[in-house]
Amino acid sequence: MIANIIIGAAIFGYATWALVKFINKSKKGKCAACELKNSCSSQCGLPPNINE
Amino acid sequence: MEIALIGNPNTGKTSLFNNLTGSYEYVGNWSGVTVEKKVGVFKKNLGHLIDLPGVYTLNPLSKDEGVVTSFFLNESVDRLLNILDASQLERNLHLTLQLLEFEKPALIGLNMIDVANKRGIQIDYMKLSEILGVSVVPVVARSGKGCDKLVDVIGAKSIQPTKKNLTYYGKELEEAITAFSGELTGKTNHSLRFLAVQYFEGNEYVKNYVNGLTNPQKLKAIMEKLESELQKQTDFKSLTNFIYLKRKEVIEKIIAEVARKSDTVIPLSEKIDSIVTNRYLGMPIFLLLMYFMFMLTFDWLGTPLSDVLDAFLTGPVTAGFEKVLGAIHASAFIHALIIEGLVAGVGGVLVFVPQIFILFFFISLLEDSGYMARVALVMDRIMESVGLNGKAFIPMMIGFGCNVPGIMAARTIETPRERLLTILLTPLMSCSARLPVYALFVGAFFAAHKAFVVLSLYVLGIVVALVLAKVFSTTLLKSETSLFVIELPPYRLPQFQSLWKSTWDKGKGFVRKAGTFIFAGSVFIWLLSYAGPKGLNVDMDHSFLAAIGNIIAPIFDPIGFGTWQASASLITGFLAKEAIISTMNIIYFVPNDAGLQALLAHYYTPLAAYSFMVFILLYIPCLATVATIYKETNSKKWTAFSMIYAFVIAYVLSLIIYQGGMLLGIG
Amino acid sequence: MFGSLKTGDKGKILDLSHVGHLVQRRLLDLGITEGSEVCVKCVMPFGGPIMIESCGQCVGIRRKEAVQIEVERI
Repeated sequence: MIANIIIGAAIFGYATWALVKFINKSKKGKCAACELKNSCSSQCGLPPNINE
Repeated sequence: MEIALIGNPNTGKTSLFNNLTGSYEYVGNWSGVTVEKKVGVFKKNLGHLIDLPGVYTLNPLSKDEGVVTSFFLNESVDRLLNILDASQLERNLHLTLQLLEFEKPALIGLNMIDVANKRGIQIDYMKLSEILGVSVVPVVARSGKGCDKLVDVIGAKSIQPTKKNLTYYGKELEEAITAFSGELTGKTNHSLRFLAVQYFEGNEYVKNYVNGLTNPQKLKAIMEKLESELQKQTDFKSLTNFIYLKRKEVIEKIIAEVARKSDTVIPLSEKIDSIVTNRYLGMPIFLLLMYFMFMLTFDWLGTPLSDVLDAFLTGPVTAGFEKVLGAIHASAFIHALIIEGLVAGVGGVLVFVPQIFILFFFISLLEDSGYMARVALVMDRIMESVGLNGKAFIPMMIGFGCNVPGIMAARTIETPRERLLTILLTPLMSCSARLPVYALFVGAFFAAHKAFVVLSLYVLGIVVALVLAKVFSTTLLKSETSLFVIELPPYRLPQFQSLWKSTWDKGKGFVRKAGTFIFAGSVFIWLLSYAGPKGLNVDMDHSFLAAIGNIIAPIFDPIGFGTWQASASLITGFLAKEAIISTMNIIYFVPNDAGLQALLAHYYTPLAAYSFMVFILLYIPCLATVATIYKETNSKKWTAFSMIYAFVIAYVLSLIIYQGGMLLGIG
Repeated sequence: MFGSLKTGDKGKILDLSHVGHLVQRRLLDLGITEGSEVCVKCVMPFGGPIMIESCGQCVGIRRKEAVQIEVERI
């Protein structure tokens, strides 16, 4: 019984957090590859020619 | 210590930046422009390395280029790291000479010596260093060679240039410089010679700066006197041109002393180009490459791998979960949540990882090899006829992977109107997230012609984009100016490691989305489908999800899918297109894919299925894309427009297809 | 006139002043100006753009800009 509650809580908790985080990131226009911090290590796939 | 990294575009600045910095300090935008500002932490903690946009001269043409001049005038910088392309020394030195006039400690990184050597060009960098009066360190930024030496030299105590006045501009101009400097003595810390020359060259930013320091009329008078004196000389066209030619003289002398060229080498790049951009072969080769890419992704390699992954998820993984859940006596609620919610929802998206990665791999290959620029050249004629620019093809190609970087890539288009048009149309390119839906429906209804039907969707997207481009450019976005000058850098054989990194960088977004948003979405969608006004574990038709879906379902009746299931899926599709498939997998929960496809046949006719896929192709960009459009256009009006027109076009086309098909008796 | 040059032709630029200002500026940035020796690398069909090469640098420009450039054949 306890196991059910723990699993349920963990799943719903993580889901809520992930949903909120995703919507916030999307609103800023970052593609999902960007990490949370201000820096984007992938430049979201800008081709190498731009402003090299 | 603030170090500025500056050089022409396409000189390998990004590679060098990555090699010289350990981590990022800040990535954002320079204010007022879309150009990215990157500041990194220099290795050995020497300070900050600021990546300035690539420019050919400090006298800017566009606002984006003005960022660099602005930076030099208004922000403090301690060292200049000028990166040069050894195979294009003559062109690059124009910027260098201007930078040296700025009279700050500087150092040159001579990059791409491997490319130069392949072309038969040898540079005596020690001599160059002697002539210019600054250290010159040869590097190959792509491999990191020479970067350690660079780090050492940057950190050295003093690297102030040892030579002043490298360029002698002739008696009249030199006198004018002295007069100009006289007006500004003591009023600024910047090099007066630098300010004088830039002012005479017509640099608006410098002009505004110095006009704020002293009497603008006096400065103007000096320039006008200078011009009238020089006009007496033959061949004088303008001050800007005069200064350019003086620098050119100096550069030619330098090149003569420093560079050796053996003529007979025809670069491999040119040989490849003679085929790939051949008048007759260019377009067919491109189409062939696209066909090849497509088939590998969907038919030959992608789908088989995907099937294996699917079997794994629905077989051993599900069985594993079942076992664990059984062992801990999990409740029916938890059991359903995990198996019918999570595994169905997340798994349904994860099975497409193979296709997604193959697609991203090819896009990376096209970018890294330099072929993309050639594509712009080959496609320009067609693009021009619909009011677009050949350069617009690149963002669109990238958009096939993911719309977000595609839209950002539109920054390379200099003219605002063409850029806006490109941004508005890129979402019509069928991104990789829409793939899973096509795969599902095509497998259920068009199994014999899978690749063909999917291809028809991609082509439809392109055709709609071209037609709309023509329509928009003759109505809403009329304009005369168009600039098409594209640099075609030499081909590079992409190294496998950097290719993999590029692919992974793009693809990991997909995986990460699956683990976060799709996970979350699946949980909540499942919950909404499990619970209803009457309680838990209700018949799905009476769940909250059905209630929500039913509100908007009637809108979709005329186009063949007026069911709550389709509506609910489409709503989730706004947040992320993959969610459509997750939602469907949860709603139509069946233990395996074959069962799911059979089930779908109850709810859709083949005609309705095609109408549905067309709708999804076009209907509205996902949230991240909408946000990117807003960021890049800075206009609520155009962002709203992009959402509305997409919906309208999607509806109209689906309507034509569905009703038309019914009339013809196909439905 | 540049417009009549074919693939493989070499020429020396005499006058760029009739070309659009933006294009002129970009070409200048890339080192292509009066006195530059250029070689036509390829010509796209149906009035499409052409690729020219100067000092090892390959650049693509539209046909209608190219025809404005006065060139002396070498």
